[in-house]
Parts: sequence; C-alpha cells; structure tokens
Amino acid sequence: MKEKIKRAIRAGIILTFVIVVIGLLIYSRIIAYSLAPQLKPIDLRSFPIWEIPIIYLIDYFSHGTICLLFAFTVAGLIYEFIPKEAITRYMGSRRAVGYALALGMAPFLTVCSCTMVPLFGGILYAGAGIGPAITFLLMAPASNILTILLTGEMISWEVAEARIIASATTALIAGIIISKTPWGKTIEKEHQTVNMASSPAKIEIAKPPLDERLWAALKFAGYLAKQILPFFILGLIAVSYVEAFLPENIVETYLTGINGVLLASIIGGPLYTPTLVEVVLGKAMWNLGMSKGALLSWLMGQPYDIANALAVSRIAKWKVVLTYMIIAWAGSVIFGVLYGMLSGSL
Amino acid sequence: MKEVKVEVIGTEPPCMRCQAAKKAVEKAAEKLKQAGIIVNIEKINIMSKETIQKYGVLVSPAIAINNTVKIMGRIPNPDEIEKLIVEAAK
Repeated sequence: MKEKIKRAIRAGIILTFVIVVIGLLIYSRIIAYSLAPQLKPIDLRSFPIWEIPIIYLIDYFSHGTICLLFAFTVAGLIYEFIPKEAITRYMGSRRAVGYALALGMAPFLTVCSCTMVPLFGGILYAGAGIGPAITFLLMAPASNILTILLTGEMISWEVAEARIIASATTALIAGIIISKTPWGKTIEKEHQTVNMASSPAKIEIAKPPLDERLWAALKFAGYLAKQILPFFILGLIAVSYVEAFLPENIVETYLTGINGVLLASIIGGPLYTPTLVEVVLGKAMWNLGMSKGALLSWLMGQPYDIANALAVSRIAKWKVVLTYMIIAWAGSVIFGVLYGMLSGSL
Repeated sequence: MKEVKVEVIGTEPPCMRCQAAKKAVEKAAEKLKQAGIIVNIEKINIMSKETIQKYGVLVSPAIAINNTVKIMGRIPNPDEIEKLIVEAAK
C-alpha cells in the first residue's frame, strides 16, 4: 500500500512538470511572446567581436529555452509511450502498409539511431522490402519531431508544414523509384529471405508502473539533450558570426531565385547536422534575406548523418545510396522552387 | 543452481543506450549470483538475420529472457531485470 502511494506521488510530480512545460509554451503563445531570438544582424555588429557569441547565446536562450524544453520533453514522452510492439508487428506486413508506417512513424521513432538503424534493417529484411525501408530512412532525419518542433517555433509553422509535406513526398517517391531499379531489387532479394510466418511471436513485454515510465521518458529527454545540446551551442556560436558578418547583399544576390534554391540545396547537404543547427543557421540566413524557397531547400538538404550512413551502407550498395542521394537532392530543389513560387518568396 | 539465458539485443556497433541496457543486466546478474541463479548474458545483433528470424523486428535496446523478449526500446533498471530473471528461473 505504502509503495503504491509513493509511486502515485512520484508520477504526480513528473506529470506536474510535464504540464508546466506544456503550459509555458501555450502561455507564451497567448501573450504572443516570441520564442525565437530577436536580435537583428545590425544589432550584433555593434558589439566587439568576442562579445557577439555571448550576446547571441543569451538572446537565444532567453527566448528559446521553453521551446527546447518542450521539444525534448515531448520527444521523450512520445518515444516512451508510443506502442512499439504494435508498430514492429505491422512492420512485417504488406507494401502499402509498409510505406504508410514508414512515413507515419519515422517522425516519432527516429530521434535516436538506436531505433532508426534496427527499424531500417527490420523493414528491409522481414517486412515490406527496400522501398519502404528507403522511405523510412529518408523521412527520418528530415522530419523527426525535434526538428519539426524547432523549425515551427524558430522559423515559422508554415515552413515546418512545407518541410513535412515536401520531405514525405520526396521520401515516398525515392522509395518507390529505388524499389523499381534493378540494383534495388537485387538488394531486396539478397536480404529478404526471412520467413516471418514460421516464427511464432516470442514477445511478452513487461510493462513497468506509470511513474517509472514517466521517469524513463524524462531520462530519455535528458539523454537527447545531452547528445544534441553541446553541438547545438557550438553551432549557435558559429551562427552568431554568420549573422553578424555575412553581408546581406551577398545573401540577397546568391540565395534568392532559382539559383538560390540550387545553391542552398548544395551547401545544405554537406553542412547538414542532426543537431538542429541547420534550423538556427537557416533562420540566420533568412534574417539576412534568403528566400523562403531557398530556406526550404536548405532545410531539406539532409542526405545522411554519418553514424546512420555507416550502418546503412553496409546493407545498401553504393548504387542505392547514390540513387537515394540524387532523388533527395532533386526533391529539395523541386520543392524549394515550388514553395518559393507558392509563397511568393523565391 | 538454476541457469537463465539473457540476450541483450542491440545495434552493431553498440549504441549508447544498448550499452546502458547491457550494464544494467550485468549488475542484476552479479546480484543473482549470490542468490544461486547463473545468468548467461549474450549480446546479439539486432540487424542479423538470425535475430529477426527468431524475434521479428525489434527496437533496440531489447532484452530477451529465456528466448522471450521482455523489454524493448528502453533501458530498464537492474531491479526490474532481477525480478524478471527470478520469475523466469522458477
């Protein structure tokens, strides 16, 4: 009995914390307090060179802390409470379901490479084959929940939505195309030898009590923060100098129009980091005059992050990797131009 | 003396969370040694065909006790594993 009360209290404390975090975000929305940094490039230039990153970081964290806290907490909670058994069971099913799952689940399950690599392998080996596997792989870094929340809060929700739609479409097309190529089929044949029907489910997940699950969710949120924040802060320091010293006329000349989209997609690729820096850097360039079309293209330029690429390239051959990168790049250019035209900012 | 087989199923090379799960199992195993239960820990690759044939698609880190997956996609604490192993040993 005592044990029960203790657990209830602990769960209550954690739930209160979660509600406060969500409440803070809603409150900031109600009083229209911006969670994005406020300084303009011109303000930054007036400070001495060593002070720029400090001022920028203070500006960033005084506004962005709630947003980061919210993003990490929500990512942790979703990851912990999403019914993983149910998802993995359906991973082995038909092709159409495979594509739908790959698109729908990638945003929630892929904040950690722990999940991403096994699921990629799982879809390929036991499930719907190379097409959905590639879709999953491409969708994952492009729009995981952390990136989307940050894009929405820092830049704008319109851009975040465009990012989701554009990367989902590109991922789907890449999956379908690769599953039709001869080299894609070869890999599928090579790996898809596992017959799922022959193996009875030997899975009986033990569910811990609520307070432990909540605590695990927060611990996972902390783990994500620990992984991402150091790089994020280094990235912010770099961004502060970009924003202060990159002349507006260069950005306006080279990062607008169709050529701007092309250039953004090319530099966005290698510069892509899975550490959310691309969002802040994109925001800085946008402040300096980059067009919305180029911004989307920039945000979509994420062919790979290295840890995942290593694990994946062992399974997929270079031809698949190359096809995948070309389609991803083409997608970012096409959607960049399209979005630029639709939003009137090309 | 009772023996229990515990498989820690993770990515190869091991990700940080898989290593944490393995450490938790090792801790539990040490405690159980005094209670007279021998725990054989095996580390298996989540991406290998054998694993997928046996357990299907999993999210790492996963832990299987006597060939049944009990934990998936999270790091359990040693006490919890201890309980699960004791249950399996009965």
